[in-house]
Amino acid sequence: MIDVKGLTKSFGDHLVLDHIDEHIHQGEKVAVIGPSGSGKSTFLRCLNLLEEPTSGTITFEGVDITDPQTDINKLRSRMGMVFQQFNLFPHLSVRENICLAPVKLKLMTKDQAEERAQELLKRVGLPDKADAYPKQLSGGQQQRIAIARALAMNPDMMLFDEPTSALDPEMVGEVLEIMKELADDGMTMVVVTHEMGFARSVATRVLFMDKGKIAEQGPPEPFFSAPQHPRLREFLSKVL
Amino acid sequence: MDWLLDQLWQTFIEKDRWRYFANGMAATLEITVLALILGTIIGVLVAVVRSAHDSQRGNKKGLGHALLGVLDGLCKLYLTVIRGTPSTVQLLIMWFILFRWADSSSMLWVASLSFGINSGAYVAEIVRSGIMSIDLGQTEAGRSLGLTYGQTMQFIVIPQAVKNILPALVNELITLLKETSVCGFIGLTDLTKGAMIVQSRTYSPFVPYIAIAVLYLIMVLALTSLLGLLERRLRASDRR
Repeated sequence: MIDVKGLTKSFGDHLVLDHIDEHIHQGEKVAVIGPSGSGKSTFLRCLNLLEEPTSGTITFEGVDITDPQTDINKLRSRMGMVFQQFNLFPHLSVRENICLAPVKLKLMTKDQAEERAQELLKRVGLPDKADAYPKQLSGGQQQRIAIARALAMNPDMMLFDEPTSALDPEMVGEVLEIMKELADDGMTMVVVTHEMGFARSVATRVLFMDKGKIAEQGPPEPFFSAPQHPRLREFLSKVL
Repeated sequence: MDWLLDQLWQTFIEKDRWRYFANGMAATLEITVLALILGTIIGVLVAVVRSAHDSQRGNKKGLGHALLGVLDGLCKLYLTVIRGTPSTVQLLIMWFILFRWADSSSMLWVASLSFGINSGAYVAEIVRSGIMSIDLGQTEAGRSLGLTYGQTMQFIVIPQAVKNILPALVNELITLLKETSVCGFIGLTDLTKGAMIVQSRTYSPFVPYIAIAVLYLIMVLALTSLLGLLERRLRASDRR
Protein backbone atom coordinates (compact mmCIF):
# COMPACT_ATOMS: atom_id res chain seq x y z
CA MET A 1 0.00 0.00 0.00
CA ILE A 2 2.77 2.38 0.92
CA ASP A 3 6.32 1.68 -0.06
CA VAL A 4 9.27 3.64 1.26
CA LYS A 5 12.67 3.37 -0.42
CA GLY A 6 15.87 5.01 0.76
CA LEU A 7 14.00 7.71 2.67
CA THR A 8 16.42 10.29 4.00
CA LYS A 9 15.65 13.54 5.70
CA SER A 10 18.09 16.02 7.08
CA PHE A 11 17.57 19.42 8.65
CA GLY A 12 20.76 21.23 7.70
CA ASP A 13 23.62 19.04 8.88
CA HIS A 14 21.40 17.03 11.17
CA LEU A 15 20.47 13.68 9.67
CA VAL A 16 17.05 12.74 11.04
CA LEU A 17 16.13 9.81 8.79
CA ASP A 18 18.86 7.64 7.40
CA HIS A 19 17.95 5.60 4.31
CA ILE A 20 14.78 3.98 5.52
CA ASP A 21 13.24 1.15 3.49
CA GLU A 22 9.84 0.02 4.62
CA HIS A 23 6.66 -1.41 3.20
CA ILE A 24 3.28 -1.13 4.83
CA HIS A 25 0.57 -3.41 3.53
CA GLN A 26 -3.13 -2.80 3.39
CA GLY A 27 -4.84 -3.57 6.69
CA GLU A 28 -1.65 -3.48 8.72
CA LYS A 29 -1.57 -1.63 12.01
CA VAL A 30 1.98 -0.47 12.48
CA ALA A 31 3.10 1.05 15.77
CA VAL A 32 6.26 3.15 15.65
CA ILE A 33 8.09 3.49 18.94
CA GLY A 34 11.44 4.88 19.95
CA PRO A 35 13.18 7.48 22.09
CA SER A 36 12.52 11.16 21.39
CA GLY A 37 14.67 12.48 18.58
CA SER A 38 14.84 9.08 16.94
CA GLY A 39 12.98 10.39 13.88
CA LYS A 40 9.69 8.56 14.32
CA SER A 41 7.47 11.64 13.95
CA THR A 42 9.52 12.85 11.00
CA PHE A 43 9.12 9.42 9.40
CA LEU A 44 5.36 9.62 9.80
CA ARG A 45 5.21 13.20 8.53
CA CYS A 46 7.20 12.23 5.45
CA LEU A 47 4.55 9.66 4.54
CA ASN A 48 2.08 12.43 3.62
CA LEU A 49 4.80 14.91 2.71
CA LEU A 50 4.20 17.31 5.59
CA GLU A 51 7.97 16.99 5.67
CA GLU A 52 9.63 16.93 2.30
CA PRO A 53 12.15 14.08 2.11
CA THR A 54 15.71 15.07 1.29
CA SER A 55 16.01 11.97 -0.87
CA GLY A 56 14.32 8.64 -1.45
CA THR A 57 10.92 7.71 -2.83
CA ILE A 58 7.56 7.04 -1.26
CA THR A 59 4.98 5.18 -3.32
CA PHE A 60 1.38 5.25 -2.14
CA GLU A 61 -1.16 3.05 -3.93
CA GLY A 62 1.16 2.78 -6.90
CA VAL A 63 1.84 6.51 -7.25
CA ASP A 64 5.21 8.05 -6.49
CA ILE A 65 4.23 10.88 -4.16
CA THR A 66 7.72 12.36 -4.04
CA ASP A 67 7.48 13.09 -7.77
CA PRO A 68 6.89 16.86 -8.13
CA GLN A 69 4.31 16.13 -10.85
CA THR A 70 2.07 14.25 -8.44
CA ASP A 71 -0.98 16.07 -7.09
CA ILE A 72 -0.10 15.75 -3.43
CA ASN A 73 -3.43 17.20 -2.30
CA LYS A 74 -5.33 14.32 -3.92
CA LEU A 75 -3.13 11.78 -2.16
CA ARG A 76 -3.32 13.54 1.17
CA SER A 77 -7.10 13.40 1.02
CA ARG A 78 -6.79 9.60 1.03
CA MET A 79 -4.47 9.60 4.05
CA GLY A 80 -6.01 10.82 7.28
CA MET A 81 -3.75 12.38 9.87
CA VAL A 82 -4.23 12.89 13.58
CA PHE A 83 -1.88 15.21 15.45
CA GLN A 84 -0.54 15.30 18.96
CA GLN A 85 -2.02 18.77 19.52
CA PHE A 86 -5.36 17.85 17.83
CA ASN A 87 -5.20 20.98 15.62
CA LEU A 88 -8.93 21.43 15.42
CA PHE A 89 -9.97 24.71 13.79
CA PRO A 90 -10.95 26.89 16.77
CA HIS A 91 -13.06 29.33 14.76
CA LEU A 92 -15.33 26.59 13.44
CA SER A 93 -17.90 24.44 15.20
CA VAL A 94 -17.33 20.71 15.48
CA ARG A 95 -19.69 20.10 12.56
CA GLU A 96 -17.89 22.68 10.41
CA ASN A 97 -14.52 21.20 11.37
CA ILE A 98 -15.65 17.84 10.02
CA CYS A 99 -17.50 19.10 6.94
CA LEU A 100 -14.99 21.72 5.74
CA ALA A 101 -12.65 19.57 3.67
CA PRO A 102 -15.17 17.16 2.07
CA VAL A 103 -17.36 20.10 1.02
CA LYS A 104 -14.61 22.44 -0.16
CA LEU A 105 -12.98 19.63 -2.12
CA LYS A 106 -16.40 18.86 -3.62
CA LEU A 107 -16.38 15.25 -2.51
CA MET A 108 -19.76 15.68 -0.86
CA THR A 109 -22.60 18.17 -0.83
CA LYS A 110 -23.16 20.12 2.35
CA ASP A 111 -26.10 17.89 3.31
CA GLN A 112 -24.20 14.68 2.67
CA ALA A 113 -21.23 15.94 4.67
CA GLU A 114 -23.42 16.95 7.60
CA GLU A 115 -25.10 13.58 7.60
CA ARG A 116 -21.70 11.89 7.52
CA ALA A 117 -20.47 14.19 10.32
CA GLN A 118 -23.37 13.14 12.51
CA GLU A 119 -22.64 9.49 11.77
CA LEU A 120 -18.97 9.93 12.65
CA LEU A 121 -19.74 11.87 15.82
CA LYS A 122 -21.90 8.97 16.91
CA ARG A 123 -19.07 6.61 16.13
CA VAL A 124 -16.60 8.54 18.31
CA GLY A 125 -19.20 8.78 21.05
CA LEU A 126 -19.93 12.51 20.83
CA PRO A 127 -23.24 12.72 18.97
CA ASP A 128 -24.41 15.80 20.88
CA LYS A 129 -21.31 17.96 20.27
CA ALA A 130 -21.91 18.99 16.65
CA ASP A 131 -22.61 22.61 17.53
CA ALA A 132 -19.91 22.93 20.18
CA TYR A 133 -16.64 24.76 19.55
CA PRO A 134 -13.28 23.06 20.13
CA LYS A 135 -12.46 25.23 23.16
CA GLN A 136 -15.52 23.96 24.97
CA LEU A 137 -14.31 20.37 24.77
CA SER A 138 -11.83 18.37 26.80
CA GLY A 139 -8.59 17.19 25.22
CA GLY A 140 -9.89 13.67 24.81
CA GLN A 141 -13.05 14.91 23.16
CA GLN A 142 -11.06 17.17 20.84
CA GLN A 143 -8.87 14.31 19.76
CA ARG A 144 -11.91 12.12 19.07
CA ILE A 145 -13.33 14.95 16.93
CA ALA A 146 -9.98 15.19 15.14
CA ILE A 147 -10.23 11.49 14.33
CA ALA A 148 -13.77 11.99 13.05
CA ARG A 149 -12.58 14.91 10.92
CA ALA A 150 -9.89 12.75 9.31
CA LEU A 151 -12.36 9.89 8.76
CA ALA A 152 -14.82 12.21 7.01
CA MET A 153 -12.54 12.10 3.97
CA ASN A 154 -12.97 8.31 3.83
CA PRO A 155 -9.21 7.78 3.85
CA ASP A 156 -7.57 4.50 2.89
CA MET A 157 -5.00 4.91 5.60
CA MET A 158 -4.67 6.76 8.90
CA LEU A 159 -1.53 8.30 10.34
CA PHE A 160 -1.41 9.06 14.07
CA ASP A 161 1.34 11.28 15.44
CA GLU A 162 1.49 10.62 19.20
CA PRO A 163 -2.28 11.02 19.47
CA THR A 164 -2.43 10.62 23.24
CA SER A 165 0.75 12.39 24.34
CA ALA A 166 -0.94 15.74 25.01
CA LEU A 167 -3.84 14.25 26.94
CA ASP A 168 -4.53 14.08 30.64
CA PRO A 169 -4.03 10.48 31.76
CA GLU A 170 -7.72 9.79 32.35
CA MET A 171 -8.53 10.75 28.75
CA VAL A 172 -6.00 8.50 27.06
CA GLY A 173 -8.29 5.48 27.29
CA GLU A 174 -11.20 7.00 25.40
CA VAL A 175 -9.00 7.94 22.44
CA LEU A 176 -7.22 4.58 22.34
CA GLU A 177 -10.62 2.89 22.46
CA ILE A 178 -11.72 4.71 19.28
CA MET A 179 -8.43 3.81 17.62
CA LYS A 180 -8.84 0.19 18.57
CA GLU A 181 -12.33 0.11 17.05
CA LEU A 182 -10.92 1.66 13.91
CA ALA A 183 -8.25 -1.03 13.78
CA ASP A 184 -10.87 -3.73 14.26
CA ASP A 185 -12.77 -2.30 11.28
CA GLY A 186 -9.75 -3.04 9.12
CA MET A 187 -8.28 0.46 8.69
CA THR A 188 -4.63 0.59 7.69
CA MET A 189 -2.90 2.52 10.46
CA VAL A 190 0.52 3.87 11.27
CA VAL A 191 0.73 5.05 14.86
CA VAL A 192 3.65 6.84 16.45
CA THR A 193 3.05 6.23 20.13
CA HIS A 194 4.42 5.90 23.63
CA GLU A 195 1.51 3.68 24.65
CA MET A 196 3.21 0.31 24.80
CA GLY A 197 0.00 -1.39 25.90
CA PHE A 198 -1.71 -0.17 22.77
CA ALA A 199 1.21 -1.17 20.54
CA ARG A 200 1.18 -4.60 22.10
CA SER A 201 -2.53 -5.28 21.88
CA VAL A 202 -3.56 -3.53 18.65
CA ALA A 203 -0.53 -3.37 16.37
CA THR A 204 0.17 -6.14 13.92
CA ARG A 205 3.76 -4.98 13.66
CA VAL A 206 5.98 -2.77 15.77
CA LEU A 207 8.88 -0.66 14.48
CA PHE A 208 11.57 0.53 16.85
CA MET A 209 13.40 3.60 15.59
CA ASP A 210 16.75 4.77 16.84
CA LYS A 211 19.03 7.44 15.39
CA GLY A 212 17.10 7.76 12.14
CA LYS A 213 16.98 4.06 11.38
CA ILE A 214 14.53 1.26 12.02
CA ALA A 215 16.63 -0.69 14.47
CA GLU A 216 14.24 -3.57 15.02
CA GLN A 217 10.79 -4.63 13.94
CA GLY A 218 8.41 -7.51 14.18
CA PRO A 219 5.02 -8.68 15.42
CA PRO A 220 4.35 -7.45 18.98
CA GLU A 221 4.76 -10.85 20.58
CA PRO A 222 8.44 -11.59 20.09
CA PHE A 223 9.13 -7.85 19.84
CA PHE A 224 8.17 -7.05 23.41
CA SER A 225 8.95 -10.39 25.05
CA ALA A 226 12.27 -11.10 23.35
CA PRO A 227 13.84 -7.88 22.08
CA GLN A 228 17.12 -8.40 20.24
CA HIS A 229 18.66 -4.98 19.75
CA PRO A 230 20.44 -3.68 22.88
CA ARG A 231 19.00 -0.17 22.38
CA LEU A 232 15.49 -1.61 22.23
CA ARG A 233 16.09 -3.62 25.38
CA GLU A 234 17.30 -0.51 27.14
CA PHE A 235 14.35 1.51 25.81
CA LEU A 236 11.77 -1.09 26.85
CA SER A 237 13.30 -1.45 30.31
CA LYS A 238 12.74 2.29 30.79
CA VAL A 239 9.20 2.55 29.46
CA LEU A 240 7.60 -0.74 30.49
CA MET B 1 -19.89 85.60 21.61
CA ASP B 2 -21.07 87.91 18.90
CA TRP B 3 -17.72 87.43 17.25
CA LEU B 4 -18.10 83.67 17.23
CA LEU B 5 -21.64 83.79 15.88
CA ASP B 6 -20.46 86.15 13.19
CA GLN B 7 -17.60 83.82 12.33
CA LEU B 8 -19.91 80.81 12.21
CA TRP B 9 -22.27 82.72 9.96
CA GLN B 10 -19.45 83.69 7.65
CA THR B 11 -17.92 80.23 7.58
CA PHE B 12 -20.99 78.12 7.05
CA ILE B 13 -24.06 80.10 6.07
CA GLU B 14 -22.87 82.98 3.93
CA LYS B 15 -22.86 82.03 0.24
CA ASP B 16 -23.74 78.47 1.26
CA ARG B 17 -20.15 77.80 2.30
CA TRP B 18 -21.27 74.76 4.30
CA ARG B 19 -21.20 72.99 0.95
CA TYR B 20 -17.42 73.08 0.94
CA PHE B 21 -17.48 71.10 4.18
CA ALA B 22 -20.20 68.70 3.13
CA ASN B 23 -18.71 67.98 -0.29
CA GLY B 24 -15.21 67.83 1.17
CA MET B 25 -16.29 65.33 3.77
CA ALA B 26 -17.97 63.20 1.12
CA ALA B 27 -14.77 63.24 -0.96
CA THR B 28 -12.64 62.36 2.07
CA LEU B 29 -14.89 59.43 2.98
CA GLU B 30 -15.12 58.23 -0.60
CA ILE B 31 -11.34 58.20 -1.05
CA THR B 32 -10.88 56.51 2.32
CA VAL B 33 -13.37 53.74 1.60
CA LEU B 34 -12.09 53.08 -1.94
CA ALA B 35 -8.49 53.10 -0.74
CA LEU B 36 -9.42 50.81 2.14
CA ILE B 37 -10.95 48.25 -0.21
CA LEU B 38 -8.04 48.39 -2.65
CA GLY B 39 -5.49 48.39 0.18
CA THR B 40 -7.07 45.34 1.78
CA ILE B 41 -7.06 43.39 -1.48
CA ILE B 42 -3.44 44.30 -2.24
CA GLY B 43 -2.42 43.73 1.37
CA VAL B 44 -3.90 40.24 1.63
CA LEU B 45 -2.47 39.15 -1.72
CA VAL B 46 1.01 40.44 -0.90
CA ALA B 47 0.88 38.90 2.57
CA VAL B 48 -0.14 35.50 1.18
CA VAL B 49 2.64 35.56 -1.42
CA ARG B 50 5.21 36.56 1.20
CA SER B 51 4.01 33.91 3.68
CA ALA B 52 3.86 31.21 1.01
CA HIS B 53 7.41 32.03 0.04
CA ASP B 54 8.63 32.09 3.64
CA SER B 55 6.93 28.82 4.53
CA GLN B 56 8.75 26.90 1.81
CA ARG B 57 11.32 24.53 3.15
CA GLY B 58 13.75 22.10 1.63
CA ASN B 59 14.43 21.96 -2.08
CA LYS B 60 13.33 24.99 -4.05
CA LYS B 61 13.33 23.53 -7.51
CA GLY B 62 10.67 23.70 -10.19
CA LEU B 63 8.76 26.40 -12.03
CA GLY B 64 6.33 27.04 -9.21
CA HIS B 65 9.11 27.80 -6.78
CA ALA B 66 10.86 30.09 -9.25
CA LEU B 67 7.63 31.96 -9.96
CA LEU B 68 6.99 32.37 -6.26
CA GLY B 69 10.52 33.67 -5.84
CA VAL B 70 9.95 36.31 -8.51
CA LEU B 71 6.59 37.30 -7.02
CA ASP B 72 8.13 37.53 -3.57
CA GLY B 73 10.89 39.78 -4.96
CA LEU B 74 8.30 42.07 -6.56
CA CYS B 75 6.33 42.22 -3.31
CA LYS B 76 9.45 43.15 -1.36
CA LEU B 77 10.26 45.89 -3.88
CA TYR B 78 6.72 47.22 -3.59
CA LEU B 79 6.91 47.26 0.21
CA THR B 80 10.29 48.97 0.22
CA VAL B 81 9.36 51.73 -2.23
CA ILE B 82 5.90 52.44 -0.86
CA ARG B 83 6.87 52.40 2.80
CA GLY B 84 10.05 54.31 2.10
CA THR B 85 8.45 57.34 0.42
CA PRO B 86 5.87 59.83 1.74
CA SER B 87 2.29 59.23 0.66
CA THR B 88 2.12 62.89 -0.41
CA VAL B 89 4.98 62.38 -2.85
CA GLN B 90 3.32 59.21 -4.15
CA LEU B 91 0.13 61.17 -4.74
CA LEU B 92 2.00 63.93 -6.59
CA ILE B 93 3.81 61.40 -8.79
CA MET B 94 0.59 59.55 -9.46
CA TRP B 95 -1.38 62.63 -10.53
CA PHE B 96 1.24 64.85 -12.15
CA ILE B 97 3.39 62.16 -13.81
CA LEU B 98 1.64 58.83 -14.22
CA PHE B 99 -1.83 60.25 -14.89
CA ARG B 100 -0.78 63.60 -16.32
CA TRP B 101 -3.25 63.34 -19.20
CA ALA B 102 -6.12 62.39 -17.00
CA ASP B 103 -9.22 64.53 -16.83
CA SER B 104 -9.79 66.43 -13.58
CA SER B 105 -13.05 64.52 -13.13
CA SER B 106 -11.03 61.38 -12.52
CA MET B 107 -8.96 63.03 -9.79
CA LEU B 108 -10.86 61.32 -7.02
CA TRP B 109 -10.22 57.90 -8.56
CA VAL B 110 -6.52 58.58 -8.98
CA ALA B 111 -6.25 59.76 -5.38
CA SER B 112 -8.06 56.61 -4.19
CA LEU B 113 -5.72 54.48 -6.27
CA SER B 114 -2.68 56.23 -4.82
CA PHE B 115 -3.84 55.88 -1.22
CA GLY B 116 -4.96 52.30 -1.84
CA ILE B 117 -1.53 51.34 -3.11
CA ASN B 118 0.03 53.13 -0.16
CA SER B 119 -2.24 51.52 2.39
CA GLY B 120 -1.77 48.07 0.84
CA ALA B 121 1.87 48.04 1.85
CA TYR B 122 1.02 48.60 5.50
CA VAL B 123 -1.93 46.21 5.45
CA ALA B 124 0.32 43.55 3.87
CA GLU B 125 2.71 43.58 6.80
CA ILE B 126 -0.14 43.62 9.31
CA VAL B 127 -1.80 40.63 7.61
CA ARG B 128 1.50 38.81 7.38
CA SER B 129 2.05 39.21 11.10
CA GLY B 130 -1.45 37.85 11.60
CA ILE B 131 -0.76 34.82 9.41
CA MET B 132 2.46 34.16 11.32
CA SER B 133 0.60 34.36 14.62
CA ILE B 134 -1.48 31.30 13.70
CA ASP B 135 -0.03 27.99 14.85
CA LEU B 136 1.62 26.01 12.06
CA GLY B 137 -0.46 23.02 13.16
CA GLN B 138 -3.53 24.74 11.68
CA THR B 139 -1.91 24.83 8.24
CA GLU B 140 -0.73 21.25 8.61
CA ALA B 141 -4.18 20.07 9.63
CA GLY B 142 -5.69 21.78 6.59
CA ARG B 143 -3.08 20.44 4.21
CA SER B 144 -3.27 16.93 5.66
CA LEU B 145 -6.98 16.89 4.77
CA GLY B 146 -6.06 17.52 1.13
CA LEU B 147 -6.86 21.24 1.00
CA THR B 148 -4.55 23.34 -1.17
CA TYR B 149 -2.35 26.05 0.29
CA GLY B 150 -4.81 28.68 -0.97
CA GLN B 151 -7.85 26.92 0.49
CA THR B 152 -6.08 26.44 3.81
CA MET B 153 -5.29 30.16 3.90
CA GLN B 154 -8.78 31.16 2.86
CA PHE B 155 -10.84 28.97 5.15
CA ILE B 156 -8.55 28.28 8.09
CA VAL B 157 -5.66 30.69 8.58
CA ILE B 158 -6.92 34.08 7.38
CA PRO B 159 -10.25 33.97 9.25
CA GLN B 160 -8.32 33.36 12.48
CA ALA B 161 -5.62 35.89 11.60
CA VAL B 162 -8.14 38.66 10.91
CA LYS B 163 -9.43 38.38 14.44
CA ASN B 164 -5.92 38.88 15.82
CA ILE B 165 -5.03 41.82 13.61
CA LEU B 166 -8.28 43.77 13.70
CA PRO B 167 -6.95 46.38 16.17
CA ALA B 168 -3.91 47.00 13.96
CA LEU B 169 -6.13 47.23 10.88
CA VAL B 170 -8.37 49.77 12.59
CA ASN B 171 -5.25 51.77 13.37
CA GLU B 172 -4.26 51.67 9.72
CA LEU B 173 -7.73 52.81 8.69
CA ILE B 174 -7.50 55.82 11.02
CA THR B 175 -4.12 56.73 9.59
CA LEU B 176 -5.47 56.37 6.07
CA LEU B 177 -8.45 58.61 6.72
CA LYS B 178 -6.26 61.35 8.14
CA GLU B 179 -3.63 61.00 5.44
CA THR B 180 -6.16 61.83 2.74
CA SER B 181 -5.99 65.41 4.06
CA VAL B 182 -3.03 65.99 1.73
CA CYS B 183 -5.31 65.63 -1.31
CA GLY B 184 -5.32 69.42 -1.66
CA PHE B 185 -1.80 69.16 -3.05
CA ILE B 186 -3.21 67.96 -6.36
CA GLY B 187 -6.14 70.34 -6.21
CA LEU B 188 -8.71 67.88 -5.00
CA THR B 189 -11.32 69.48 -2.79
CA ASP B 190 -11.42 67.17 0.18
CA LEU B 191 -12.42 68.29 3.66
CA THR B 192 -9.11 70.03 4.41
CA LYS B 193 -8.93 71.75 1.06
CA GLY B 194 -12.54 72.85 1.51
CA ALA B 195 -11.66 74.53 4.79
CA MET B 196 -8.65 76.21 3.18
CA ILE B 197 -10.86 77.62 0.44
CA VAL B 198 -13.34 78.95 2.97
CA GLN B 199 -10.50 80.53 4.95
CA SER B 200 -9.19 82.21 1.81
CA ARG B 201 -12.64 83.79 1.34
CA THR B 202 -13.31 84.86 4.94
CA TYR B 203 -9.69 85.59 5.94
CA SER B 204 -10.47 83.93 9.22
CA PRO B 205 -8.90 80.52 10.06
CA PHE B 206 -10.38 79.80 13.48
CA VAL B 207 -13.80 78.34 12.76
CA PRO B 208 -13.01 76.42 9.54
CA TYR B 209 -9.99 74.62 10.92
CA ILE B 210 -11.47 73.84 14.32
CA ALA B 211 -14.58 72.64 12.49
CA ILE B 212 -12.71 70.18 10.28
CA ALA B 213 -10.70 68.93 13.26
CA VAL B 214 -14.01 68.07 14.92
CA LEU B 215 -15.34 66.52 11.72
CA TYR B 216 -12.25 64.30 11.31
CA LEU B 217 -12.57 63.26 14.93
CA ILE B 218 -16.23 62.37 14.44
CA MET B 219 -15.44 60.31 11.33
CA VAL B 220 -12.67 58.43 13.13
CA LEU B 221 -14.90 57.74 16.12
CA ALA B 222 -17.69 56.51 13.87
CA LEU B 223 -15.38 54.16 11.98
CA THR B 224 -13.71 52.79 15.10
CA SER B 225 -16.98 52.13 16.88
CA LEU B 226 -18.28 50.34 13.79
CA LEU B 227 -15.22 48.11 13.71
CA GLY B 228 -15.33 47.68 17.48
CA LEU B 229 -18.75 46.16 16.97
CA LEU B 230 -17.34 43.78 14.38
CA GLU B 231 -14.48 42.84 16.67
CA ARG B 232 -16.84 41.97 19.50
CA ARG B 233 -18.81 39.73 17.16
CA LEU B 234 -15.67 37.94 15.99
CA ARG B 235 -14.45 37.52 19.56
CA ALA B 236 -17.71 35.90 20.53
CA SER B 237 -16.41 32.47 19.48
CA ASP B 238 -13.53 32.80 21.98
CA ARG B 239 -15.83 32.92 24.94
CA ARG B 240 -18.12 30.14 23.93
